[in-house]
Amino acid sequence: MTTQHSDSRAASARPDEGVTYVFAVCRSTRATSAWNVTGVTGMPGGEAVRLLSSDLLTAVVQTVPGSDFTDTVWQRRLADRDEIERYARAHHSVVSAVAAHTAVVPLPLATLYHDDTRARQVLDHESDRFHAALKRIAHHAEWGVKVYEPSTPEPSQAHGESVLQPDGGRGAPAPGAGLAYLNRKRGVQVQREKRREQALAVADSVDAELRGLAAASRRLRTHGAALSGDQRVHVLNATYLVADGRADQVRLLVETLEERTGARIELSGPWVPYSFVGEA
Amino acid sequence: MAHDVVPWDGPEPLSGPLGVPLVDLLDRVLATGVVVSGDLVIAIADVPLVRVSLHALLSSVNERVPCPWSDGGPL
Repeated sequence: MTTQHSDSRAASARPDEGVTYVFAVCRSTRATSAWNVTGVTGMPGGEAVRLLSSDLLTAVVQTVPGSDFTDTVWQRRLADRDEIERYARAHHSVVSAVAAHTAVVPLPLATLYHDDTRARQVLDHESDRFHAALKRIAHHAEWGVKVYEPSTPEPSQAHGESVLQPDGGRGAPAPGAGLAYLNRKRGVQVQREKRREQALAVADSVDAELRGLAAASRRLRTHGAALSGDQRVHVLNATYLVADGRADQVRLLVETLEERTGARIELSGPWVPYSFVGEA
Repeated sequence: MAHDVVPWDGPEPLSGPLGVPLVDLLDRVLATGVVVSGDLVIAIADVPLVRVSLHALLSSVNERVPCPWSDGGPL
């Protein structure tokens, strides 16, 4: 991940002023200049979403109240599930609306400039990088793939019996209750580890097969079961940049892999290629 | 690319923006790919902040369930 801190960064905006929120950047064409963006809502509390063009690039922007886009306010907002959802979805719906019409480079949530002049300067200064990103993602979409460990088999399953007495079982007198308990505990642990290893192996093979269809891929962090409220164990959270013509192959491959591995595999997409616009 | 000039309030064919689970959306909009940085510092992409503030939401950064791969994640 690249996060450059330019000298012009300031700690916060003057609270009484509007600042320029940039959603996404695309090439300037005759088509973009004719776009009608009045139907796009944008960030809560902001003015109308509009286009900001430089010579070769057009940004989709909105003037938003500086007082609502300070670090302090956003730290609070980030801790509030409903709030962050509201803003994330607002951002995503603008990005998606643009992407429905042309290849766009989406910017991260809450990318802000002091004013239009600054935003335009950045379009000009970083023009090469924007064009490289646009070239990379043109005619591609992002597809997310999540793999979950198969649900826990019953402990009494025949498959598990062999590990209940990993050693010392043969020829020894029948173990006492304490030893039996320990062996059972150990067996459960061994089974759990084995299941995890198998699931990770499945994750690796799913990832390898999907990479075969993708122009690029990234592994994201897996989501923990405890806090997501989802009791399944998440073993792969990957995302792939896939040429538009291969989307059906990806869908088919996921179905095939699900049948073959027995793992639960979730496919999401097509996404605007959020994960593939930055330099790797 | 040939794109028709149509208003943006039409249907949105891309990216299922409405039904996307929040956690998947956050995986993507929180700076997974950064071309430029903004003027105003909102430390969303900072891992410590995300760990603290989004802890309850983004279990992806739950240290008890670490990413099994060393090549990292989006944050």
